[in-house]
Amino acid sequence: MNYEKKYVWSILFRLCHWAFALAIVVLVVTGFYINDPWTNTWLENSRTFPVADMRYYHFLAGFVFTAAVLVRLILYLIGNRQERIFNALPVTPGNVRNFFSTFAYYGYATDSHEERLGHNTLAGLTYLFTYAVAAAQLVSGFYMLYPESVTWQSWGLPLFGTQQQARFIHHLLMWYFLIFAFVHLYLLVWNDVRSPEGMISSIFNGYKFKPKHDGSAKA
Amino acid sequence: MPITINEFIDDPKCNRRSFLKACTITAAALGLSDAMIPRLVEAAANPQRPPVVWLHFQECTGCTESLVRGSHPDIARLILDIISLDYHETLMAAAGHQAEKQLHETMEKYQGKYLCVVEGGIPTKDNGIYCKIAGRTAMDILAEVSSKSAAVIAIGNCATYGGIQAADPNPTGAVGVWDLVHDVPVINVAGCPPNPISFLGTVLHYLTFKRLPPTDQLGRPLFAYGRKIHDQCERRAHFDEGRFAERFGDTGHLAGYCLYKVGCKGPETYANCPAVRFNDVGVWPVGVGHGCIGCTEPGFWDTMTPFYERLPNVPIPGGGGIVASAESTGKKILAVAGAAVGIHAAVGIGKRIVKGKSEK
Repeated sequence: MNYEKKYVWSILFRLCHWAFALAIVVLVVTGFYINDPWTNTWLENSRTFPVADMRYYHFLAGFVFTAAVLVRLILYLIGNRQERIFNALPVTPGNVRNFFSTFAYYGYATDSHEERLGHNTLAGLTYLFTYAVAAAQLVSGFYMLYPESVTWQSWGLPLFGTQQQARFIHHLLMWYFLIFAFVHLYLLVWNDVRSPEGMISSIFNGYKFKPKHDGSAKA
Repeated sequence: MPITINEFIDDPKCNRRSFLKACTITAAALGLSDAMIPRLVEAAANPQRPPVVWLHFQECTGCTESLVRGSHPDIARLILDIISLDYHETLMAAAGHQAEKQLHETMEKYQGKYLCVVEGGIPTKDNGIYCKIAGRTAMDILAEVSSKSAAVIAIGNCATYGGIQAADPNPTGAVGVWDLVHDVPVINVAGCPPNPISFLGTVLHYLTFKRLPPTDQLGRPLFAYGRKIHDQCERRAHFDEGRFAERFGDTGHLAGYCLYKVGCKGPETYANCPAVRFNDVGVWPVGVGHGCIGCTEPGFWDTMTPFYERLPNVPIPGGGGIVASAESTGKKILAVAGAAVGIHAAVGIGKRIVKGKSEK
């Protein structure tokens, strides 16, 4: 079969993806440390500030995370065709069909699947949900970072409750990202094994490989 | 009759000097410049100052106790005498019909002028029958007394957010004052108990400026509840440097290290405890080695417990909690892995014995 090289993901989209991924790794590692600072020390008069440092990197990564979420939201509106929100939502008959056929494909009920340049609808919806969780995570995060700010209090109090409740919810939602990362990586490898479109490398170089002269391929 | 300021300052227990001192302490707590102290003194000494009606509902009287047992007599006297306490069930000499008469006289004579202080939660379930005084429910009394007052000061976690009786499952449907009173200004002096200075500051602010001090989104005065305990804590340097008490009585605890890992809720709690402290001898919970339990926050009995853990260890239905479950399953996995290794090694050795070294 002949394949042709198709440009799918813009450079901004790929940067946004890696900023988001890196931020999540840093946030989870430092977040676990902040919850339980295991490097307890009896040493005084030292120049080490382990908890302050971890909090610092947590906050920095939080800003990277926020930036990535905002960029993705903008790309949902002004990105290329694969990046737009309507490509991901089951709002057209084709997308609704794709949503159910993806379930069948992932459930080994069928071997055929639609060649799509961008996300399948199931993945698109999952990513949208992930950004909603990310929004909750960053609002609760800023609520705790700026506890004396009336603005963040007016968001944080009705959404999450007191600082302690916000902290608990922030901690619980963190697990969503760990589970998401696991499923995300598994399905990437699974798809890469099942169809040779170069899905994994596409997030590095932006290109996917699609069968040539295939009527079902969306160009 | 409330005593006049001259009688008050002639009292050998509280002379002019200590009266001014108490006003100065309060001005400092309010964050006012010393230029404002004369205005505070004037307001506190004004014989026309509004009287106070103090209502008790579902509570332990701990807030009143902490006020009257301040080791600093000036503060207690200032609170109890200067604010012209006309009705206070714990402290007043009158009882029964006399007390009721006093309450209604004050309400009529000073309608729209007196301050209403509420201590304790208000049960609302089954028409509020779980707390009654003189045959009337707490809801009834609060509605009548608050509607004729100039402003309501809710003192303590019970009056502000319902307190311990509002903790899950809240059998009496207890709520705080601001859930019921909407027609007059309500301010929440939260805490279990609140610092007497925070209460006095709120009252003196009202007497001096004729309005309640600015509050946060939870109705608490900003001068006392504007900042988090963690950000003013004397042990904060130990937190940043990673020095913690791992458990009560260990080396870190004896050295005065951070109490974060034994459950201190200072990072989630807004209050002035580290700055103002208690009992006029400079003590407060974290200062004496016990973590903050978050008593100024709404619903702290539900959200801040367990007090000695960072976050609630939510039990999984049917399981014994995540740590215990993981540990017991983990031990079995390790045992199975150990057995597998043992069998593998035994088979290998057995094969070698049967077949001899040569076939290797």
